[in-house]
Amino acid sequence: MPEMPQVVRGFGVTFNTIFKKVVTEQYPEDSTKYPPKPRFHGRHQLNRWADGLEKCIGCELCAWACPADAIFVEGAENSETERFSPGERYGRVYQINYVRCIFCGLCIEACPTRALTMTNEFELADNNRADLIYEKKDLLAPMLPGMLAPPHPMVPGTTDTDYYAGKITGAVPEQLIEQELLDEEVSEVTS
Amino acid sequence: MTLTPVITEHWNDPTLYTLDGYRSHGGYRALATALKSDPDAVIATVKDSGLRGRGGAGFPTGLKWSFVPQNDGKPHYLVVNADESEPGACKDIPIMMANPHALVEGVIITSFAIRANHAFIYIRGEVPNAIRKVAFAVEQARAAGLIGKNILGSGFDLEIVVHSGAGAYICGEETALLDSLEGYRGQPRLKPPFPAVAGLYASPTVINNVETIANIPYIIDRGVDWFRQFGTEKSPGFKVFAVSGHVNRPGIYEAPLGITMRELLEYAGGMRGGVDVKFWLPGGSSVPMLTAEHLDIPMTYEDMAAAGTMLGTGTPMVFDSTVSVVKAVTRWLEFYKHESCGKCTPCREGTYWITGVLEKFEHGHGSQEEVETLTHLCNQIAGRSFCALGDAAATPYPAALKYFRDEFDAATHTPVDETFDPRASYVFAEAAAR
Amino acid sequence: MTITNEPGAQVAVPTDLVNVTIDGVEMQVPKGTLVIRAAELIGIEIPRFCDHPLLDPVAACRACLIEVDGMPKPQPACAQMVAEGMNVHTQHSSQVAAEAQAGVMEFLLVNHPLDCPVCDKGGECPLQNQAMSVGRPETRFTEEKRTFPKPINVSAQILLDRERCVSCARCTRFAEQIAGDPMIELLERGAQQQVGTADDEPFDSYFSGNTIQICPVGALTSADYRFRSRPFDLVSVPTTCEHCASGCSLRTDYRRGVVTRRLAWDDPEVNEEWNCDKGRFAFRYQSHGRINAPLVRENGELRVASWPEALATAAGIFEAARGNAGVLVGGRSTVEDAYAYSVMARAVLATDDIDFRVRAMSDEEAGFLAAVVAGSPVTTTYGSLENAPLVLLVDIEPEDESPIVFLRLRKAARGGTRVVTVASHLTTGSEKMNAELVACAPGDEVRALTELSADIRTALAVPGAVIMVGERAAAVPGAFTAVADLAKSTGAALVWVPRRAGERSALDAGALAGLLPGGRPLTDATAREEVARIWGISADRLPQPGRSGRALLENAARGDYAALLIGGVEVDDLRDADLLRAALESETSVVAISTHHNEVTAAADVVFPSGVVTEKSGTFLDWEGRPRPFGQVFHEALTTSDAGVISAIAEVMDATVEGSVTGIRGQIGALGPWRGARTTRTAVAAQPAAAGVRLATWRQLLDLGLMQSDEPHLAATARPTVARMSAATAAANGITEIATLTGPAGAISLPVEITEMVPDVVWVPMNSEGSRIYRDLGLGFGDVVQISAGGRP
Repeated sequence: MPEMPQVVRGFGVTFNTIFKKVVTEQYPEDSTKYPPKPRFHGRHQLNRWADGLEKCIGCELCAWACPADAIFVEGAENSETERFSPGERYGRVYQINYVRCIFCGLCIEACPTRALTMTNEFELADNNRADLIYEKKDLLAPMLPGMLAPPHPMVPGTTDTDYYAGKITGAVPEQLIEQELLDEEVSEVTS
Repeated sequence: MTLTPVITEHWNDPTLYTLDGYRSHGGYRALATALKSDPDAVIATVKDSGLRGRGGAGFPTGLKWSFVPQNDGKPHYLVVNADESEPGACKDIPIMMANPHALVEGVIITSFAIRANHAFIYIRGEVPNAIRKVAFAVEQARAAGLIGKNILGSGFDLEIVVHSGAGAYICGEETALLDSLEGYRGQPRLKPPFPAVAGLYASPTVINNVETIANIPYIIDRGVDWFRQFGTEKSPGFKVFAVSGHVNRPGIYEAPLGITMRELLEYAGGMRGGVDVKFWLPGGSSVPMLTAEHLDIPMTYEDMAAAGTMLGTGTPMVFDSTVSVVKAVTRWLEFYKHESCGKCTPCREGTYWITGVLEKFEHGHGSQEEVETLTHLCNQIAGRSFCALGDAAATPYPAALKYFRDEFDAATHTPVDETFDPRASYVFAEAAAR
Repeated sequence: MTITNEPGAQVAVPTDLVNVTIDGVEMQVPKGTLVIRAAELIGIEIPRFCDHPLLDPVAACRACLIEVDGMPKPQPACAQMVAEGMNVHTQHSSQVAAEAQAGVMEFLLVNHPLDCPVCDKGGECPLQNQAMSVGRPETRFTEEKRTFPKPINVSAQILLDRERCVSCARCTRFAEQIAGDPMIELLERGAQQQVGTADDEPFDSYFSGNTIQICPVGALTSADYRFRSRPFDLVSVPTTCEHCASGCSLRTDYRRGVVTRRLAWDDPEVNEEWNCDKGRFAFRYQSHGRINAPLVRENGELRVASWPEALATAAGIFEAARGNAGVLVGGRSTVEDAYAYSVMARAVLATDDIDFRVRAMSDEEAGFLAAVVAGSPVTTTYGSLENAPLVLLVDIEPEDESPIVFLRLRKAARGGTRVVTVASHLTTGSEKMNAELVACAPGDEVRALTELSADIRTALAVPGAVIMVGERAAAVPGAFTAVADLAKSTGAALVWVPRRAGERSALDAGALAGLLPGGRPLTDATAREEVARIWGISADRLPQPGRSGRALLENAARGDYAALLIGGVEVDDLRDADLLRAALESETSVVAISTHHNEVTAAADVVFPSGVVTEKSGTFLDWEGRPRPFGQVFHEALTTSDAGVISAIAEVMDATVEGSVTGIRGQIGALGPWRGARTTRTAVAAQPAAAGVRLATWRQLLDLGLMQSDEPHLAATARPTVARMSAATAAANGITEIATLTGPAGAISLPVEITEMVPDVVWVPMNSEGSRIYRDLGLGFGDVVQISAGGRP
């Protein structure tokens, strides 16, 4: 029997493959079908307490832990009229440079308030360096139902300790009213 | 052993607090004798008498006086510690109220001996009656020429200032008392220098307890041999014992040192309702507790030390079996926590912590682990605090644990008020029951 | 351990030594040494919180417990003195000591909050460090911690977190023992013990910032620095304070090109471990209101220009002004910058019309400085003050004008030095130095000095006695003469203590008419030869002595100069501000080199930006004459120093003026000290005192000084502006609560504080809110002022 021409044998591989399971993932057209694993180290997120106040206290421990020097934080003091987090201090500036970040997660371990966690989002490509420096506004967790956008006071009658103990379940109307009163006072003083 | 009233001899005379009343019983005779002799001779007499400090530590008084440097060109001061605040102690205040002239006479003789021209009597602020009585006695003595310039023609000048404290326990600590007297916050001073060298206003200062000073006129008047016929070789003399607690007749019993608690209990009319002695403390809350088996130990400095406790102020507190030792220790620690001056870490933080743990025990929330932790904490205070207050605070718990461990074990699950009905231990228990 | 080593002095070998064994190491230490210090000598670190080498021992924290053979209880190493034959066991060789220390550590954390992430001290905290190294891994304390409401202001600047306090009493002891401002004290007792102030009496001490630095926990923080950064992202650079002539060593901490804080650095010979609040907190001026680029005037308006253009314009102005130019250096330049001005004037502009004094000044003062001060070696030091039997202060208020001198004098006074001050009244500062007053109305200094009591005169003759004279003496004719004569006749050391950091620097750099660098007389042939050789010109090209002081200003006011080169000069700082204003308005071309925009730059034809202290390196000479070199903090700074600007202008003019710090230091080093004859001062007679109420005044430490701008918290701790006068003076003028002072330029009204002082004298601060004397009154120290009752402050 004469030998089958090489070219036919080659087509045989192709032909056989037609009947095999497709391994190609249609990314990005069909990306939702193939989510990353739940514990995948993706983009960071700055979490909020149930009433919308920020968890970040601007302690910079994440920046200190970062082996790639990708995080820059500047703290500031919550004022009587503008409160962003429970307690005295909040993170005024929060930047993560995703050109440098190696997604090791040490910052997450360092965070004393669980303000910083990682999401599964991995689509962090861009065409310039500047846009890869994520600011606080880019990193903050979205507002969920029951949350009130800071600045606003803590839930009346509670302290920062209650927040840390997980006793806050959501914003109450008094917080909004109080903040409106504070804003009015400020505008009176400044006008 | 019989009672030997000396300081308390004429307390039934309602005029004793006046100059005339005191004089009618031979008062100020000793002063005349002393002023005629040499100051060093007075010191020698007191040294020979073997009188030991009645404030708690039992330091030989004559020796303390002799530490004051002479001819150093600085003023000398005598400060009488009348800041009696020890829980359970109530002897100096009665002395000042009933027999203030014995104190004043003692102050004058002591000042003469140590060449002090200024003496201060620092009285606890919460006892205005005692302050008034002493101030009145000083006034009368001054009017009679016993205080002031050239006393009794001896050429000796003395001013006595009666100073009212503000009621801080720490001001019973001698250097804290000096700070308070100088107008600062009462907090103990770093030693050395000791007060005998640099005390009040950085000058040589002797600080003695009220009872110690009140002993002096009698020693000078009646002599060393008379004094030494009471008590033991190492603890000569007599002592004002203030018995309190679950006895039928709490009160003041002056007896020679060496009397036993069992005898004192008899004088005090025995235990209330005939109930057994559960535990007792020889001299205030700052000394380790003893139990019924220690009732026959002579009440002397040395015998009490041998039994693992101290004579302290010599004011026994007796508790019967209705009392929870856990609760008693908790109350004492609450006292020390409240009175800790805050200067040193072990006392400031230790009393805070121990009290918190003990309060859990009181409510039945303690744990076996914490029984050990408390022992450890007491060890971390004892001997490491700045002054004796910390040591005192570390005293009650280990002693209580030594004799009544089972009660602490029980308090890990049952609130003490369930084990011991608090009403049963009330002094007015019967009334409460009705 | 703080070791003081006097320059030039032989190191004293202690003779009184005792033998002591620590952890088996046998050693000899001077008698009276504390065990904790002795242990440090052999590298054994005993934990401590309350202990501080410059404060008296208190033994409160008990962290340093050690075991000593023969002593029943553990002893605090910070209070235990060594004794002959003592055998000490630290935590390294004694279980008892180790357990005691661990126990105290555990206790300290009982009531200490776990807020390290938000605490300013976190990262540089002794408590944190020790908790990490010897603390228990897990707490046994499960009860409630004691809490206090969050921070309270002990002053506008200092905040106190009471729950973080470990009651070590360092701050209260500092306030009482070092600063002499016992405005903070421990209150309450037990666990409630806390630092506090009396009601409505804040801790407004000039030295309050030091308490933050010595606090071993984060209990004390400053409003200024609170939450601004964490210690671990700061870069620290050792620097020198630019505010006054005390010459403090500082540590400047910055992050991303911005200074976040400044701390006192340990220099035992100068500031020990302290500095004043101005030096610590006033640095924001460095980044505000700066000139960013060269400016050139075109059609009457200043516009931004390129460096080459500005340099060419300046060079053109100076080319036309050779031989007829004036140079004003200002009192804040470094030695190197002042030297460049000095060279520029003499070698390029061919003029000797140069002065650095921007304040009250006189020819008598210039003569005195040239003859006595300029280029003189460091002989009288901080150490000499401490050991002096007597220090006589003439026209100087150290607490306001040289705060570290004040601290050292206070330390000296506590050790037995007698301090005598010739002044109108005993200030609180004088009282803290336990000073005696030689009462003297401003202007009567000469008489006061000639009539000094025999007692003080005798004491001045004791070796080691020091006379300190302040810059205010320039306003009093004959004062410098009298002071110099007194020093000569008694043999006491004489030092001049200027206020600004750059005055002594400029003087020694030769930025004064008639004076070449190092105190060389311009008229001396050898001196001219030496200097000309270094400058690379022939000695004949050096100018003949020119004008300084008022003469210079008058000449400028007439518009007689073709050009003026002006450094950092604030017009209102001059007693004769009108003269300079006239000069700026005249046809004279002005080239200004300045860090900030001001009246001079607004009127200048060419303006060059120059660097503040963080942007350059250099050297200040403190009042001792001690060089205080400092390095550049921001190497990426876009500015250059004054010397750099001058050098660039000279280059365009085809001349050479060294502009680099190393180059100038090399030239100064090559010149060496001047060993030839010095100029002689001409005696000036005292003038009879004018009749009327005279004005006593000086600048308070915290005032409207430009380098304190943008520091609201610091400014809030300044002393209130009041007028002081004696009860008699007030009564004679019918004054009760408010006095109005009137001078040629106007009037000010201030609340009156009756003070025990010389009659017919009124004291007001010189440059404080509501009391800017030169500008508002047109009067200065010693001038007659009209006072009347009433007015609105």
